[in-house]
Amino acid sequence: MSEAKTHNALQISGLTHRYTAGQTPVIDIAELAVRPGEQLVLTGSSGSGKSTLLHLIAGLMDPAEGSVRIDGTDIHSLHGHARDRFRGRAIGMVFQTHHLLHGFSAEENVMAALMFSDIPRGSHRARARTLLDTLGIPTPTQRVEKLSVGQQQRVAIARALACDPVLVLADEPTASLDPENADVALDLLQQACRSSGAALLCVTHDRRFIDRFDLAEHLNAPHEQLQAALEDA
Amino acid sequence: MSMSDWNIVTRSMRSRLFSSVVTVLSVAIAVGLVTLLVSMRNAGENSFKRGTGNVQMLISKEPGPLPSVLNSMFYAEAPGNPITWAQYLELKRSYPFAWTVPTQLGDSYQDAPVMSTDASFFESFQPAQGVEWVVGSGRHFDAPFEIVLGSDAASRLGLGLGDTVALEHGAPRTQGGHTHDEFSFEVVGVLEATGTAHDRAMFTSLESSWILHAHDRREAIFGHGIVTTIDDLIDEDMKITAVYASLGERKAALVQVLSALRRDPDWTVANPSDTVGGLFSIVSNIDQVLLAMTIAVMLSSGVSILLALYNSMEQRRKQIAVIRVLGASRKRVFGMVLTESAIIGLLGGVVGIVLAICCGMLVTSVLAQRVGIVVEPALPLDGYLFIVLASVALSCVAGAIPAVVAYRTSVVRALRPSM
Repeated sequence: MSEAKTHNALQISGLTHRYTAGQTPVIDIAELAVRPGEQLVLTGSSGSGKSTLLHLIAGLMDPAEGSVRIDGTDIHSLHGHARDRFRGRAIGMVFQTHHLLHGFSAEENVMAALMFSDIPRGSHRARARTLLDTLGIPTPTQRVEKLSVGQQQRVAIARALACDPVLVLADEPTASLDPENADVALDLLQQACRSSGAALLCVTHDRRFIDRFDLAEHLNAPHEQLQAALEDA
Repeated sequence: MSMSDWNIVTRSMRSRLFSSVVTVLSVAIAVGLVTLLVSMRNAGENSFKRGTGNVQMLISKEPGPLPSVLNSMFYAEAPGNPITWAQYLELKRSYPFAWTVPTQLGDSYQDAPVMSTDASFFESFQPAQGVEWVVGSGRHFDAPFEIVLGSDAASRLGLGLGDTVALEHGAPRTQGGHTHDEFSFEVVGVLEATGTAHDRAMFTSLESSWILHAHDRREAIFGHGIVTTIDDLIDEDMKITAVYASLGERKAALVQVLSALRRDPDWTVANPSDTVGGLFSIVSNIDQVLLAMTIAVMLSSGVSILLALYNSMEQRRKQIAVIRVLGASRKRVFGMVLTESAIIGLLGGVVGIVLAICCGMLVTSVLAQRVGIVVEPALPLDGYLFIVLASVALSCVAGAIPAVVAYRTSVVRALRPSM
């Protein structure tokens, strides 16, 4: 077994984050691990810091304390360009509102992710088309704003998986979909991650999906943490 | 083809096509104005200097060198202070001139001035340095009442070989001048264009002009119906208005002759090239005001780039944030916005220069038709290159603030779902 295989896809240790110094931490996670290919759902009510946690994991924010290791690399030990490059290669992100680049085609959106990878440029288009084809987008040259919401979600998934990331972060990926489409989209996301071998961390406020994941964690909002502490006392 | 920063920049510009085109046009107009002004200024001065030909000294009895040059070489007005033929011959004898050309202005045909001179005008005087007179059709005059047309005069007046004209007394557009109906001049030649003010003039012999004016004098004495010939001329009739002169290669003597003539209160002497240079240094103050205004226009176009890009930042924050999530560094995003500014500057610069060249051609054509002066508003290639580079540099400076906004865009805030 190679050394890379021994690393967890995600390893969080002693992670805390406060919006303002001196306040109760909005994020306070002693230990959390997601193994390669594993799928974790993180539930929590509004304001529990789910999106903040994803931003911390992606290195878009710096924590007050603790570390976030992606495939063995502490993302917060990297700075500037190095962190951006690492995020581009190791992490794929899927958003609630997709955040596709409007004015660009589906395949260009996928290729935009490949721009920042080490994958040879000559293979970008073919790779994007294969991914889109696998995810059921028959018209890769169509502008994304002309695609249906469901198709846009698929393009977003393809983009997240384009660089063969070790970890995919999905922020409320079903929130903008009706229940039927939400099921389909989640199926697709989970299936795509399994096929590529990427670990998946999905945050959602919808507890209906918990059973579909290998692991489930719940994030308490600060007022819930306070309530729990009072009850313990 | 894979995606690149260039794709993202150009697609971003295309997605805001109207704003991008308007911004490019505003830069183009500013660049065009600057280019046209700079090139026209140089071309105007060069054209005027070129029109002084190979004349080293213009000698007259005009009140000063500037009116002397403007009247006797650029046909602005008819000179008012005549030189007698005897004075001319004395002048010629007194200084070591290589050549002199006596000229007399005072008559016209429609709006074309008529210069009376002798054969030396076509033999010694070059209308522009190194440019000889070329007869397009016919020949030079060699007898009284023969007239030769400048190229522009011929085409504007619709005259050709064999046509006859009666001259009017006074400069073109002079009120109250009379027509010398008694004498008709035959067109015997049409000159090729020289690109100088002489192209809009007509040329005849001094004797012809003298006879016209002798006839006026004699008519006042003897009444209508008399006939005047060259034999009737007296000293009083034989006048000229200016002398074109050159010492040829004896440049060392030029300063001495000029200063000797300047000391003589009877004469006004001008070095035409210096006088034109002096005229342009006077108008250069106006030039500088115009140049300052044009630079202000250029700066305002820089502000419009800044505003166009800055305003687009609001709608592009999300796009920038997504690109950052995908792995683009802050510097790369900064570079993309600066590249967009540079493209606007480059396109604006190139379009502006094309506009300036087109407008310059239009001005050249109008000036050639109306004034008969060839103004060639061209800059050296280096000049055009410098203007384009300056446009790109200014655009980059203007784009720096939006680029900093892009650099500092908070990914987390930009990606937060809008409420």
